[in-house]
Order: sequence, then structure tokens, then C-alpha cells
Amino acid sequence: MSLLKESTREQQSKLAEYCKTGIVPELTGILEENLHHYRRLVFNIGIDTIETAYPITYRFLPDEVWDKLVYEFYAEHKCQTPQVWRMPLEFYEYCVEKDIQGKLNLPFLNDLLYFEWLELEVHTMDDIPYPSFDTEGDLLNNLLAINPEHKLVKFTYPVHILAATELEGKEGNYFLLMYREKESGKVQCMDVSILYAYILEQIQNGLTLHAVLTDADSLFQINNFEMLKEHAINFINDLKQRQFILGFLNA
Amino acid sequence: MQLKDNKHIGIGFRKDFSEELLDSTILKPAFIELAPENWIGMGGYWKKQLDKAAEKFPISCHGLSLSIGSPDDLDLDFLYKIKKFIKQYNVQIYSEHLSYAKCDNAHLYDLLPIPFRKDAVEHIIARIKQVQDILEMPLAIENVSYYTPVAAEMDEATFISEIVNGSGCNMLLDVNNVYVNSFNHNYNAKEFISKLPLNKVSYIHMAGHEQISDTVIIDTHGEAVIEKVFELFEYTTALLKPVPVLLERDFNIPELEELQTELTRMETIVSKTWKKEHVIA
Repeated sequence: MSLLKESTREQQSKLAEYCKTGIVPELTGILEENLHHYRRLVFNIGIDTIETAYPITYRFLPDEVWDKLVYEFYAEHKCQTPQVWRMPLEFYEYCVEKDIQGKLNLPFLNDLLYFEWLELEVHTMDDIPYPSFDTEGDLLNNLLAINPEHKLVKFTYPVHILAATELEGKEGNYFLLMYREKESGKVQCMDVSILYAYILEQIQNGLTLHAVLTDADSLFQINNFEMLKEHAINFINDLKQRQFILGFLNA
Repeated sequence: MQLKDNKHIGIGFRKDFSEELLDSTILKPAFIELAPENWIGMGGYWKKQLDKAAEKFPISCHGLSLSIGSPDDLDLDFLYKIKKFIKQYNVQIYSEHLSYAKCDNAHLYDLLPIPFRKDAVEHIIARIKQVQDILEMPLAIENVSYYTPVAAEMDEATFISEIVNGSGCNMLLDVNNVYVNSFNHNYNAKEFISKLPLNKVSYIHMAGHEQISDTVIIDTHGEAVIEKVFELFEYTTALLKPVPVLLERDFNIPELEELQTELTRMETIVSKTWKKEHVIA
């Protein structure tokens, strides 16, 4: 039970609302000439945090469009996370919920924002324990150990390949593998085809490469297992070199 | 808190200079301070940096988002995360701001002034006690800089004292904030300090600020500490038992040599007034 009087709560609420919207409230006993510092300081923290998280979108959108978007987000949205560095995720979710891409006629905006957020998330996300693995094994028939600190995502626009100015009309199915290098903590991005995205997803689900390829051969109507196997092994070896495939899971 | 090399002065651990701090010997703080909000749940490169820092320095925590003065309920889920973090990094001091940063279910990520009122005092005392019960350690509460009072019914020093004395918490005395407020609200800084519960001060903050007009100073943590704040610091430390002292520098980070010069100057001041203390409660 709160011990605050309603009048005190109301004063606090009005000041907070002013910081969000910039609409000057009626407050008691204030230095009116100093009130704007709170709006400025609060708003600057929000703007800096969002612009740092979304540098591509920030540069791409015209200033007046960006400023209006950030202003409306701050005024309308109630930030839920106590950790300001996680707040940009709420900005992305706000843009999706409010269909900002539809309103701006930029059908790739959600993908672009999500791509930028993902880079931040993969870089900072909590450590995930690595599986126990051997470096020697049978590529086709042993279960493969993969770097657990990764995201495999589908985009409708190739936001991870092309500049924002080149995305119009490029609608399709695009897959991105984004992972964090264990030692350096650097984030690596790799464009993968739908076939290879399927292979990675199934390996992650606990199938051997042989089993995945058997399924993929019919699912994708390739009907040439040996050719598929050759390409897939090259792909997997490439991922081993990149240290995304770690080796072979211990039984 | 067991401080390094029997010194007293620490520095805020900022990502902007974490690598330099960890890899060089230019900066020699007795401890480092960090905001748990900026590190909880973070892995990868930054987790490695944090773990390295924890091996090298004692850590104190200075929170940003607990929002002790908020009309909203305390975020207990978040508080338990802080508790886990404090335990994980063997943190001996956890401080927060006497302000609010969340209201009407929205975080604002800055420090808003609480009305200096009796009901707010009682509200905050109850919340501090709840926090201390959950954390199983005392909270140190910081006097904040503010640019306007809101609906005040008592003076700032009385507000702070009643909360500290009523809750049994410790006080983090931010000397720069006292200076900033004394300038902005036209009061005598030394008189203000003398009215505070000085026996409860367990921690001191020092920082730089920016004067933006004839009547307003903004507490930026982006400049060097000015002479008048050093003078107030010397005056203040003479009134206190030995406690850890922290230099906050969040923006406009200078060469580490400059930061070390400030640490050294503060150490020189406290070594005169506090003589040689090894362990600080």
C-alpha cells in the first residue's frame, strides 16, 4: 500500500508526463525557467540511445521523419525495461505495432530495424554454455556441435546485404545467420540460402547431416543426393573454418 | 569494502575507457563503481571485460533505475536480479539516487526530483526498508542534483535527513551535487552539509559539472572537478569518518593521466584528514 498522498502522486505524474511529451503541466512551487532542463535531459537520453542502436535507419530516414517518430515513441510508449540499453528493442516493437513501415510506405523498415537490433542483441546477449564436443568425427553421421550464441532469421528484404536506398522492389526470402565469436565477442553475419538455412535449423534440432540431407533432397525436390551432399559438406566445412560449427557433439 | 593499496579513491567503470583501465597502469583507482543496470544480463565481450575488472578491482554498485521515490510499486523482479549481481561480484556497497526515474509504468532513464513532503518521506522510508530486507544489506542513498523543486513542503536537508534516519539506510554524499544545488537554489553549501546526517555517510561522490548560464549548473559528469568543489570536498571530509570516495566521469573522457591527477588530488586531501586507514566499513 502506498503511503503517498494523491496530491503528491499527481505532481510526480505530471512532471513525468511532461518529460515524455513536452507539454507543460501545472506544477506547484517550481522554477518555471528551469523545468525544460528535465524534458531536454530525458529526451536526449532517449534519442541518443535509439540513434546509437539504429544508425542505418537514423541516417536513412529524413531528419523530420526520424524526429517525429522518436518524439511520438517517447510520448506514446511506456518504456518497460529498467535497462536503458534494452530500450531500443521496445522502439522496434513500437514501430511494428504502429505499422510505421506502412505509414511511411517503406515495406522494408521492420526488417531493417530488426537487423540493427539483432546485431546489438547478439553482441550483448547473455553467455550461453557451449556444448561439449570433439574435434574429430564423421561429418555425415555424428551430431554436429554448433556455436549456441547465434540467431538464424528470415527477412523479406535483404537488409543485411544491400544499402537501405537499394531495398525497394527486392522483396523475397532471405536468411541471415548471425553469431558471436567465442573469443573476440565479435558479431559475424552470413547470408545463407533457404536450403542451407533449413540444414542449419535441422542440425540445431538434433539431426545428423545425413538425415537432414535425406529429408532435404526430397523436400526441395533436388533428387540428387550426391550433389547435395558435396555442396552441403563444403558449406559445413566453411562454417567449421569460421568456428560456427565447433566439431562433433559428445555422446 | 577492502580497497586496493590502502587508498580511498575509486572511479566509475565506463565502457568508453574500460579497455585502457584494464590494460594500463596509468589509472590506479582503489576500487571501481558501476551501474548494475548496464551490466546485468550482458554476455560476450562486455561480460569478459567486467570479469577482468572484477579480478583487478573491488566493485561498488550505483543504481540508476530502482526509482526509490516513484509512486509506482518497486520492481521486485529487477531487485532480485540486482541481488544476484551483487552476490556474484562480491559488491559491498550498493547505492541509489533519492529521486524517481519511473512513473505511471514508464521508465524515463533520468533522475526526477521528488516533492519534499512528509508523505513522500514515509513512502520512501518504507521502500528503502523493503529493499534492504530483500538485499540483506544496507542501501546508501544519494542526494541528487535538481533544477527545480516540485511542490515542496520542507527543505531538502530535512527531507534527506528524515529519510536516512527513519529508514536506517546509509547516505552517499555527492559533494558536487551539493555544490550544484547550492548554486542553482542559492543556499550555503557548508551549512547544508552540516544539516545532513553525517554519521550515516558511508560513501562520497565527486564529479564535474557544466555551468550553462548565470543561474544554472547542470550536473553533467562531463568535465573536470572544479576548484570550489575540491574546497567543499576538503571541508566535508574533515567532518566525516573515512569512507570510499568515487570520481564520476561519464562523458567527454580525457586522457587517463588527467583522471589520475584528479584521483591523486583527492587522495592527498583525504590522507591529510583521515590519516591511514586500511579497511573501510
